[in-house]
Amino acid sequence: MREILVLAEHRKGVLRDITWEMLSLGKELAEKMEAQLTTVLPGYEVKSLADELSTQADLVLLVEDERLQNFSSMAYQQVLSTLITTRKPIITLIGHTACGIDLAPGLAAALGMPLATDCLSLTLTEKELTAVRQIYGGKVNAEVACSCEKGCIATIRAGVVSPWGEETRKGKVEVIQSPSLEGISRQRFIEYVEAAIGGVDITQADIIVAIGRGIQDKENIPLAEELAKALGGTLACSRPIVDKKWLPKAHQVGTSGKTVRPKAYIALGISGAFQHIVGMKDSGVIIAVNKDPRAPIFEVADYGIVCDLFDFMPVLKEKAKELLQRR
Amino acid sequence: MDIIVCVKKVPDTREAELIITKDGKDIEKGELVCDINEWDRYAVEEAIRLKEELGGSVTAVAVTPDEDEDLLRKCLAMGADRAIMVKDESFRGSDAHVIATALHHIIKDLPFDLVFTGVQAEDDGYAQVGGILAGFLKVPHATLVTQIEVLERKVQVHRELEEALMEVVELDMPAVCTIQTGINEPRYVSIMGIRKAAKKEMKTLNTSDLGLTEEELGDSASKVKIKGLSLPPSGKGAEILKGSTGEIATKVASILKSKGVLA
Amino acid sequence: MKTTITSITKKQTLAQEYDLLGCMQCGKCTAACPVAMRSHLNIRKLMQEALTHESLNPIPMKELWDCTCCSTCTIYCPRELKPNELIINLRGILVEEGHVPTTIRDALESVFKQGNPWGGAKNKRAEWATDLHLKDATRDKEIEVVYFVGCTPSYDPRVQEVARALVKSFNKAGVNFGILGNEERCCGNEVRRMGEEGLFEILIEDNTNVFQKLDVKTMVTTSPHCYNTFKNEYPETHFEIQHYTQYVANLIATGKLTFCGEVDKVVTYHDPCFLGKQNKVFDAPRSIIDSIPGVKFIEFDRSRERSLCCEGGGGRMWVDASDSGERLAEVRVRDAVEMGVQIILTACPFCLLNLEDATKTIGYEDKIQVMDIMELVSQVI
Ligand SMILES: Cc1cc2nc3c(=O)[nH]c(=O)nc-3n(C[C@H](O)[C@H](O)[C@H](O)COP(=O)(O)OP(=O)(O)OC[C@H]3O[C@@H](n4cnc5c(N)ncnc54)[C@H](O)[C@@H]3O)c2cc1C
Ligand code: SF4
Ligand code: SF4
Repeated sequence: MREILVLAEHRKGVLRDITWEMLSLGKELAEKMEAQLTTVLPGYEVKSLADELSTQADLVLLVEDERLQNFSSMAYQQVLSTLITTRKPIITLIGHTACGIDLAPGLAAALGMPLATDCLSLTLTEKELTAVRQIYGGKVNAEVACSCEKGCIATIRAGVVSPWGEETRKGKVEVIQSPSLEGISRQRFIEYVEAAIGGVDITQADIIVAIGRGIQDKENIPLAEELAKALGGTLACSRPIVDKKWLPKAHQVGTSGKTVRPKAYIALGISGAFQHIVGMKDSGVIIAVNKDPRAPIFEVADYGIVCDLFDFMPVLKEKAKELLQRR
Repeated sequence: MDIIVCVKKVPDTREAELIITKDGKDIEKGELVCDINEWDRYAVEEAIRLKEELGGSVTAVAVTPDEDEDLLRKCLAMGADRAIMVKDESFRGSDAHVIATALHHIIKDLPFDLVFTGVQAEDDGYAQVGGILAGFLKVPHATLVTQIEVLERKVQVHRELEEALMEVVELDMPAVCTIQTGINEPRYVSIMGIRKAAKKEMKTLNTSDLGLTEEELGDSASKVKIKGLSLPPSGKGAEILKGSTGEIATKVASILKSKGVLA
Repeated sequence: MKTTITSITKKQTLAQEYDLLGCMQCGKCTAACPVAMRSHLNIRKLMQEALTHESLNPIPMKELWDCTCCSTCTIYCPRELKPNELIINLRGILVEEGHVPTTIRDALESVFKQGNPWGGAKNKRAEWATDLHLKDATRDKEIEVVYFVGCTPSYDPRVQEVARALVKSFNKAGVNFGILGNEERCCGNEVRRMGEEGLFEILIEDNTNVFQKLDVKTMVTTSPHCYNTFKNEYPETHFEIQHYTQYVANLIATGKLTFCGEVDKVVTYHDPCFLGKQNKVFDAPRSIIDSIPGVKFIEFDRSRERSLCCEGGGGRMWVDASDSGERLAEVRVRDAVEMGVQIILTACPFCLLNLEDATKTIGYEDKIQVMDIMELVSQVI
């Protein structure tokens, strides 16, 4: 039977959201192509994850090996290339994540297969895979195509496909012998570390909560800090906040501070002076909260919220906490 | 410590209004200012810092359809010792596979301990070349590298994962690393510096020097082809979110999710 | 007298180049230096340390970037030395080695790539004037005056207001003028002061090539910084270079620009260093202010040659002081409020931004306003 293959991504014993997103996309493709939806789960002592996955796939291939306990692109490559060579899926879906970026290119090279990375959506026919991607920093949409007659691989951007949520399948779990995993010792996982705190580097943040003079008082900064934390983001600010020594200089965004390009920038009580804008205008999405509907920040923001930031912050914080808990 | 850094020149599109070419497969680049790909710049800087600390050499390599001498001069001015440019019109429209093939042909005969590329390029954003190249060279690799420590015949690197988590990985050398922005602070390259770098060695090769055949090059050899480009509608000014604070917060959360944060 | 462009060659030591042996260590420069109050920068000490060039390592000297290139030290030196040029030279060493603050790096790179230090796209330089339909001075041969807008008035929305106000006055007075549009490039005044001599030379060449095509009598600049470098550091031009205050003062004096309203406000004037101290243009701005009907003008205690620097020069728009004492612009705003002033007027984009910002940081924005002279003028013409 024809097959759509999805690599299940997990870390520290938990399946990552991207896995469900890919299964949701995989389900659509499988239905259209009248194919079986199969997911591969390489790991060690992850039987419970396999059971979880079986609710949304026709088949779960469980590859257990002590050496697969943590992600390793070399080990994963061997697992997948063995499976792909024998099972010949039409397409293999991998997350465009730190894991997928490490794995997919080498895998495609080893198999001599076409690879479309960072895809937002996919269309599959007998002969061809068409993918929509973003290029030039998201300013242009590109439709790319490759042959899928001999199989192909696509990596999927996180967060663009909605997962199904409910149970859609009652798949079975098949235990597969892991390949020899020869030569993988040249690449060794050592440990996980939390990104250095203290020496904040706002340029590396994916999400920035930035405060301006609208925060009004040093006493209020913890409110913004808590929001940033709840969102998994980093706190930044405009220059007056640094001037008042409410936050250290390393937090300042702008022409005399740092230039940042996070995936999301939330500006709270920042008017949008040119010297500030220059430092953040290339952020993925800009959300501005300001009580003044004519504040220039709304010119560069993608979304604007005209309200008192003190009303908004706690509500968004609760919302973020709720979301994170549900996972 | 001999390090090879692969670099690419890209148009700076951040401020520009982009126009799609008539054939629909590229953007008009005439008016755009080009410079070294942001990620590559950090890669060059990292290579030079390692060289300054440990000795050895840095070679900058570019595979390109255009006259990109200025790109390599910049790398030389930053502190690279030599540069190699493979220029061939047939690289136009190449996918990552073709570029990695060409790079492989250059690098396989050079001595090296480490090869650096940027994580991805600002223009096409594939994030593939480093990984494919490692595959061709049959050496271990790590992508999204934010810290490198050179040990005895091996390197210990930090890889950037999601949610402020890092992964520490050891690689036996030789190895390939794709470098993430923020790993260092790239130095300024002065006009004087570029003038002085004119004395450094720069080799220009063509594809036949590398023994590359037509079939291995260009659009026809590319496995992934561009069908067409389009511009997303660009609304000027913010969309103002309306509703109760709770509704707005829900909307914001879903926007964040769709951007791959809060995920 | 033209100041020739200094560049240190290997043979010439700093001592010869800046006549360091002539320094008698009197300390007049440091006493006059406005940033000495809030920075470790000690220009007298630097003059001495530079004598032993070998031991002088500029790399750890963060305070080198604190200098605003206001040139007060040079004005006050009894031996007619040029201490501030020494700083520019030392910065040049840092620039050549690539060791500059990242914000300075980004500003310089932006000048090289886009022709302005603000990261704006080269081909959007004239976007601010799209709706004004100004003449193109590079094409229109009938034009008498070319208006050199400058980078900050071209890209910063706040300062675009000043350019618009000036255009309004020109139109009102019937001046036959045009702009250079997207062919205008950064003048390089700040670039040179950030120590990037090579880039400055390129800018001179680019701008001079454009200037040669012009068939005009006068070039008018918004910024004293552009004015300064064109007048003192560029090759001689076939047209006269004026700061707008000079040109507009003349329009008023000759009756070409007249007023039709009153401003019932108490105002003062902040002398920009590059207009006042460095080019002795003190009276033109004052004469414009005097002619505005209704204004009550009072002088700052520290005015004209003794004016306090706003800290906007010498690259300081892109890097904050290494030490954080009170900003001089804040001192300035406090003084003005104490004097009972309602509007601080100035005639420089950088002064405008710094002073206006200071009203915010000390929470005086409801008490006092900061405006460019042209903005006030355009309200009553
Ligand atoms: C040389 C120079 C360099 C500079 N460099 C930088 C720089 O690197 N970075 C930088 O940020 N700035 C810089 N500035 C300063 C810049 O010009 C602005 O003054 C500054 O960015 C303004 O900060 P702000 O937006 O926080 O404050 P403001 O402009 O005062 O804005 C505060 C905003 O908060 C809103 N607000 C108030 N209360 C509430 C509330 N309860 N709820 C919602 N909204 C509220 C107000 O409507 C207002 O829009 C520089 C200035 C100069 C002159
Ligand atoms: S130029 Fe001005 S700021 Fe610089 S040292 Fe001289 S007096 Fe001080
Ligand atoms: S004022 Fe002139 S002579 Fe006096 S210390 Fe300064 S540089 Fe030397």
